[in-house]
This record gives sequence, C-alpha cells and structure tokens, in this order.
Amino acid sequence: MSARPPTRVDLLQGTLDLLILRTLLAGPTHGHAVAKHIQRTSEDLLQVETGSLYPALHRLEAKGWIAASWELSDKGKRARFYRLTSFGRKQLVTEQSKWQAFARAMGLILNSVDQEGK
Amino acid sequence: MKPFFRKLKWLTERRGKDADLRAELQFHLDEEAVERQVEGLAEEEAARAARRDLGNIALLQEDTRAIWGMPGWTIVEQLIQDLRYACRTMAANRLFTLLAVLSLALGIGANTAIYSFMDAILMRSLPVPDPESLVVLNWHANVIRHDQDFVMQSMSGTTYGDPNSGTTAGVFPYPAYELFRKYDAVFSTVFARYPSWQVKNLNFAIKGQAGIATGDCVSGEYFGGLGVPPAAGRLIIPDDDRPGAPAVAVVSYAYSQIRFGGPAKADGQPILLDNLPFTVVGVTPPEFFGVDPAAAPDVYLPMHTNELLGAANQFGFRPRRYLDRNDYWIQIMGRLRPGVSLAQAQATLAPAFQQWVASTAANDRQRANLPALVVKEGAGGLDTLRRQYSQPLFVLMTMVGLILALACANVANLLLARAAARRREIALRLSVGAGRGRIVRQLLTESLLLASLGGVLGVLFAIWGIRFLTVLLANGRANFTLHAALNWHVLGAAGILSLLTGVLFGLAPALQATRVDVMPALKETRAGRQQPARAFRRVSLSHLLMVSQIGISLLLLVAAGLFVRTLSNLHSVDLGFNRENVLLFRLDARKAGHKDPEIAAFYGDLWKRFNAIPGVRSASLSEDSLIQAGTGLPLGVAGEPRNDANRILSVGPAFFATMQIPILAGRDIGDRDRPGSPAVAVINQEFARTSFGDRNPLGQHLTLGRGDGDRLARDMEIVGVSKNARYGGLTRDIPPVAYIAYSQGYPRPDQMVYALRTAGDPLRYINSVREIVRQADARVPVYEVRTQAADIDRTINQEITFAQLCSGFAILALLIACVGLYGTVSYNVARRTGEIGIRMALGAQRGKVVQMVLREVLVLAAAGLAIGMAAALGGSKLVASFLYGMKANDPLALTLAVVTLLGAALLAGYIPARKASRIDPMTALRHE
Repeated sequence: MSARPPTRVDLLQGTLDLLILRTLLAGPTHGHAVAKHIQRTSEDLLQVETGSLYPALHRLEAKGWIAASWELSDKGKRARFYRLTSFGRKQLVTEQSKWQAFARAMGLILNSVDQEGK
Repeated sequence: MKPFFRKLKWLTERRGKDADLRAELQFHLDEEAVERQVEGLAEEEAARAARRDLGNIALLQEDTRAIWGMPGWTIVEQLIQDLRYACRTMAANRLFTLLAVLSLALGIGANTAIYSFMDAILMRSLPVPDPESLVVLNWHANVIRHDQDFVMQSMSGTTYGDPNSGTTAGVFPYPAYELFRKYDAVFSTVFARYPSWQVKNLNFAIKGQAGIATGDCVSGEYFGGLGVPPAAGRLIIPDDDRPGAPAVAVVSYAYSQIRFGGPAKADGQPILLDNLPFTVVGVTPPEFFGVDPAAAPDVYLPMHTNELLGAANQFGFRPRRYLDRNDYWIQIMGRLRPGVSLAQAQATLAPAFQQWVASTAANDRQRANLPALVVKEGAGGLDTLRRQYSQPLFVLMTMVGLILALACANVANLLLARAAARRREIALRLSVGAGRGRIVRQLLTESLLLASLGGVLGVLFAIWGIRFLTVLLANGRANFTLHAALNWHVLGAAGILSLLTGVLFGLAPALQATRVDVMPALKETRAGRQQPARAFRRVSLSHLLMVSQIGISLLLLVAAGLFVRTLSNLHSVDLGFNRENVLLFRLDARKAGHKDPEIAAFYGDLWKRFNAIPGVRSASLSEDSLIQAGTGLPLGVAGEPRNDANRILSVGPAFFATMQIPILAGRDIGDRDRPGSPAVAVINQEFARTSFGDRNPLGQHLTLGRGDGDRLARDMEIVGVSKNARYGGLTRDIPPVAYIAYSQGYPRPDQMVYALRTAGDPLRYINSVREIVRQADARVPVYEVRTQAADIDRTINQEITFAQLCSGFAILALLIACVGLYGTVSYNVARRTGEIGIRMALGAQRGKVVQMVLREVLVLAAAGLAIGMAAALGGSKLVASFLYGMKANDPLALTLAVVTLLGAALLAGYIPARKASRIDPMTALRHE
C-alpha cells in the first residue's frame, strides 16, 4: 500500500483496452509487465487493478484483437505472452484516433471556459 | 453457427484453460513478490503483500471465466452447477425433500384441479368461430312484491334475484325477439332457443326402439348464427322453423353414435319423437354442446315444432304464446356485426326495448317497474353454470389457496431451519469470496427445483383430483356436461404457480441465510450460537411462519367443521317419510302413444306387476318424487276462498304405506279409488291446519280448478290426514299439500315416478323392473332410475361436495401443519442439544425438558389459534349462504377445530420433546 503514489487517477471506463493495445504495440509481453508498463509510463498516475487487467486481457483475446501463447520470460519462467494481432493493430488505430478526437474536444471545451472565465 | 462452435471449443478446452489461468495468475504473484522483495520486504511478507494486492482471486477467476463463454453460457454453466449441487443436497436430505415436495405437490395439485374447473366454467369460450362477437340478451328489473306489478305476467326460465340489486333473467316474449331481429345494423344474426320442459325428456324411438333424449328447441337462425358446420347432413335452417314445415331433427354427435352407430348412419333416418314422426336431417360436430354449458342436448328441434309436441298435452305449448307480449320464455343471443361494440349494441337496443316494453304495460305500477335490456357478452354462451358454480368455486379456490400458502410456509420454514444449519457452510463460502448474489441464486435454485418437482407431481395429483371432482360434482348424473381438463391454460397456470411459490418460499430464507457475519458464524460450534440478538430475529421469522400455519389450519378446520355439520344437519332433516330401501324410476307412457283413459289402466296394471315382484314389500306411484314435486293448481276447500300456497301431488294406491308416511286420521289412497269412483284426496297436517283449523277435515270437499282458468275441474272428498312429509325440497318449508288419486280426472296422468319399497338393496330390482316394462310396452323407456336416498342427495349435492372436499382439505392442512411443526421443533431441539445436555447434567428432570419444549409449541399454537380464530369469525360470514341449520359462528365447529388443532400441535411437538428428554448429557457435551 505504501507503494501507491499520493495522487492517482482512476481509469476511465473503456480506456484500459486502449492502454493494453498501445502497450502491446511495443512487442509481446505478459500481464504483469503490461500493468507495470502502464504504471511506469503514466508516471504512476495510473494504476491498473489486477482484478480488471486479466479479465480485460482475456476479453481482448476472445475478441481476437490480441493473441496469447506460453513463452519464457526474461527470468526464464513460463509466462503467458500477449501480442497484437493484425486485427488488433487496426482496432488500435481507430480507437486511438477516437480517443484523440475525444481528448481534443474535451480540451477545446475546457480551455474555452477557462479563457472566458478570465 | 461460428461463434457457437468457438464457444463449444472453449467449453471443451475449459479444464485446460482453468489451469492456464491459475498458472498465469501464479506467475503474476511471483513477479509481484519478487518486486516487493527488491523493494526490501522479507520473502514471506512480500508474497502476502502480492496476494493482498491481487485482491479476490476467486472473483477474478469468475470474471475471467465469464469472458471465455458467451454471457448466456456462463449462466447456463452456473445453473447446471447449481442444479447439480441442489440435487446433491436434496439427495442428502431425503426426508426433508420428500416432505417439502409432497406438501408442495398437494398444494399445487389442489390449486390446479380447482383452477381447471374455474377455467372450464368461467373462462372457456363456445367452440364456434369468432365467439367474441356473440352477445346474450338479458333484462334487469327492480325487485317488487306482487306479480301484478310486473309486465312479466308469466315466465318460464330461471330468474336470478337479489334483494339488493334486483332481478335478472334471460327470457323474453316472442314479439321482443322479432323486434331485435329488425336491428340488422347491429346484429348480423339474432337467434333464439327455448329449452322447453316438453323436450326435456323426449321419447326418441328408432324402428320401435325407444330411448330418452334431451332436446333443445332452436330458431332457424341458430346454427347459421353460431357458425357451426354439420358433421353429417345439414343443420336446422330458417325454412325448417315455420308452422307447417316438415318435422325435422338434428342430433348431437355423441347421440348419433349411441343410437345410430355413427353420424353417417343417422342422417336421413325417420324417427318418432313422443310418438310423432320426425326426420333426422343432420348431426352437430363432436365439440358442439349448444349455447348453455350446463346442458348438452341430444337432439335439436326447430322452435316451431313446440306446437306439434304440445298439441297432445294438457299443459303443452300453445301457438298463442308467439303473440303474447307479457309471456317471457324465449332466450335470445346474437352475433354483432364486425365493428359494432357491446356498448354500441347496448346503446342502440336498450332504448328500442324500453319503448317496446312500455307499450306492453297495462297499468302505472307496471310502467314504473319496466325491465331494462342488458346486452352481455356471449363468448362463453349462457351463464347458467357460471351463476351456479362461481361462488362455490370462489370458496374452494380460497381454500386451496390457503393450503398452498400453508405448504409454502412449511417449506420456507424447513428451508430456514436448514439454512441455519448451513450457516457455517455459507459463511465459509462467503469468506472465500463467493458473491452474496451468487449464493442467493444457488439457494433459490434449490427452492425452485423443489417447487418444480412439486409442480410436476402436483399436476399428476391434479389429473387425479379432476377425475375425483368430476365424479363428485356429477354425483351419478350420466349427462353431466362439465368437463374440466388439463389444457395449456391450466398447465401454464400450474407452472407459474410453482415458480412463484419457489421464489416466494425460497427468497426469504435465502436472503436471511446470506446475511451472515462471517467471523462469528465460523466460530460457532454445534453446541450453540453465541449471538442471542441475531438468534432472536431468525427465530422470529420461523415462529411467524408457524403461527400463520396454525392460523390457516384453524380456518380450514373451521370451514370443514361448518360444512360437515351442515351436511349432518341436512341428513338429519325430518323427512316425514322413510328414505331407505326405496327404488325410484320414471315412465312416460303418454309420450309413447298411450291415450286417455287407457293410460291410467296401463299405469295401474304396471303397479300391480311391480307389486308382485318377489322382495318388493310395497309399491306406489306419483307424478314426481316427493323431493322433486311441485304442482300448483287452483285448489281450495269447497265454498271457501282459495289458499294460493296449496300444492297437489297425484299419487297411486298405497302411496302413504310405501313411503311410510303415517296416516293420522282416515285412510290411505287405495286400489278402490279408481276412475269413476268418488274422487278422493288425502291432505297433510299443514293443509288441515291452514284450511280447517280445529275443524275435522275428514269428509270435507276440495275443489280443483283448471290451470288456464277457474273452471271447476275436480271435486274431491278428504278421506285422510297424513303427517307432514317433505315436498319439493329438503329444506324448504313444507307447504299445504293435497295428495289426489292420479286416475280420477284432471289433471290427467302424464309421466309417473314409481316407488318400490324393497327388501335389501333397491338397485338389485332394476332388471326385473325393466323386464316388466319391456313386456308391457317396449316403446316406454325406464329412466331416471335411482334410490330415494340418491334422489335426496342430488338436491344437496353441493353441500355434500363441500363437506367432503373441505374435510379433505382440512385433513391435508392439518397434516402439512403438523409436518412443519414437527420439523421445526425437531430442528430446534437438535440445535439445542448442547444446551439441553448442560441443563440435564446440572440436574434438570426429563419432564422438565419435555415441558420446556412443549411450552414453546403451546405458545406458538395459542398465538396461531388467536389469529386464526379472529379470521374465522370474520370469514365464516362469507360461507353463511352455504350453511344450513346453524349460524356462521357455530360454537361446536369452532371448539372442535381448536381442540383438534391443539391436539395435533401437541402431538407434533411431543415427539421431538421426548427425543430431547432422552438426550444423554455425556454424549451431548462431548460434541466438539
């Protein structure tokens, strides 16, 4: 518990899938590494709950966006590695552009309010 | 298809995937632990922290698994899992399962059986096309005192009177029928029927072979209006229904099979109806039973054949009735044109009828009490059965509903007790991460499985119950028309009922069972629980259920007591005659072609031959059996004003000797009172009291007028006074009756009921009787053969049925309640084994222990009885109209019910109490 950063942002609904896909773009890796990567890259602002990570991984696998296989980890242990499928890659592009459009829209609105307020 | 196969693959790979997931999560834990160790935690500490961080592993696994399959699959999978588990627990508690399923099955079975009758009587439509567009015409009028104040100067048909709401009936004058036929903007057809008494028992002869057939007179538009297709030949058409048309008849499918050997053979056959030639022109389809569900006619005749059939009879139908605007006799139905609503029909026809009926009024009082037209929906046909049975069915439905409530309370209580026993199991499951909803669902699966089993068994009980009820209600009547059956309607209702009960009795215990504080529950031992506050709340629900069970049982017991007492009151009614060992049967020689004066001799000759049958002690005849009698003609003491209450009964020789009605003065009517000898009469005490007071009636003269006028028809000398005997009913007040010799003039003898007082079982003599009649004249059928006792029982059929059913229900209720009581008390004793052991170890006597357990039972019983008694006092008024010879709050019935219930409760409590007193303190304390 002490490992948790003082300020944390809760994940928005549906964004975990995008984050997983984006993480796997760098190359195949296992669930633990995915969680750590998201945590580290977001400068500890985002912490992935294990309780939702694994169901999400399996959900993406069931959808055919990612595929899994057992491989050896860098420490020589058997681990379940996930990698993006070509279909998942396409999905990532659409999801990403959707998210960017959304973020842009949010930014426009929030910033405009800011200026008028001043 | 494709996703389906993918899921199938998932399912088959399921075991491997589970292992995979476990390995994957283990890997995650290991990685996490290593990371913590790097952060500086000890190995063990790190592993624990990793574990904590991962959260609820079971839930995670469950969630992940849910993703593998389709959402539906998971539920199915869990359901199968739940069902398997439920089956296992049920198999492990066989007695519990048996009791629960059995009591539910009885409850559901009783409800299904009664409901199927309700369905048959109250909801079934006529088997004709588009029944929804049919309407029945009725009128409604305020209640008035004197017949002269009504435009309805004479009526044949049933009226339904109610002192508050007035009188309703479905009979009209023929001119009114002609009026309605003019409204063809409203009706596509208007048709009518007249179930005349003339055609009630037709002598139906085929090539000299006579039989009895029930007839119905219908208008020419009847079959066309209903849209019934013939099964053979053609049905009655408008051209058949006019004066002078060839006499035709249509027979029912069933009757064509019985008498002709099939519809094809019936078509075109010449027959004799009451000795008049008719031709069978067609057969109705098998499912058709007419428009009155209470009567399924064997033969349909055109309305206008009434004149033909009535011409030969002294009280027969006369054509002038077609013109009489104050004679109400014809029953009218119609089919509305498409698009015309019931309200529109009412709005159009009511004013028209109003205007017409006003023109029939003779004075201002009649004008003030005009009947108003009521157009009723006619999809179910005429409402004779509905009116007759809807109230009794409502009472029965309430009772079986209570029984089902009882069964539900029982199962809920048993489940509650078991859930308490499973507290530790449930606490354990909750603590390893099972969701509360998941456990509730699992417990509900168990109760639903119980309910479903109960439902299936209940339907079997219902099939049996329907047969039993049909026999009970028909009470020996061969032409009983009420056929209840299991259809999808009824089965659907039974299914819904089962599911509902399953949820109802399963939900409360399930919710309570999962509302557990995990820690204390896990710490519990078998010796007892530590949390008295919680225990109190749990016990209170189970106590509440027991109290309500006792209350409901009391209600049913009181009802049974009331109905059984009513029946016994009815059976002990002073008849005034001896009902045992009398055979009754009916003959109608006139309908077979016998004429005056020969017919009297024919009857007299038969009387002699019946008298001579070995074993027949005495024989006589009368126009009707005493219980069914009811003939009123202008009759009074010669030279004095008539008493309208006077009734007559035409009887043969030795009537009083045969019926064993004591003659108080004078003599019986005898063989010497023949045609031509001085006319005689015997009067009953009531007649003597009302007409003669203190005077001696013997030797006085009575005068009888004709029904259609006051002309003198017969003058008779009173030769005897008899004790009062029942006349025209079992419970009706005995009217003043003059018994007159059947052969001495007006009214001339028509049908006759013979009474044979026999040695031993009267039914043994039927064959001799039939043989004698066949030899005398094969054209005269013997019908309505029954014993005098059965003749009486038929009039109290409903009371008998009620008494039998309610006794059955009450016994059922008592059994269910006892089982529940026994189960709950035994469970409580088992739970308190440790406590009782300690008490006994500390010196408590066995008697004390028994007392302790029984006290609890008694307190519950007292509470239940108090509530039940209040409900019984309030509710028994609802059945007051079904009772005879007693008040609704009969103290004897109430006391008996209370005593029985108290006894049963004590018995149910005593067995576990005794078991408690046998507890060996050492064994009890050694438990854990």
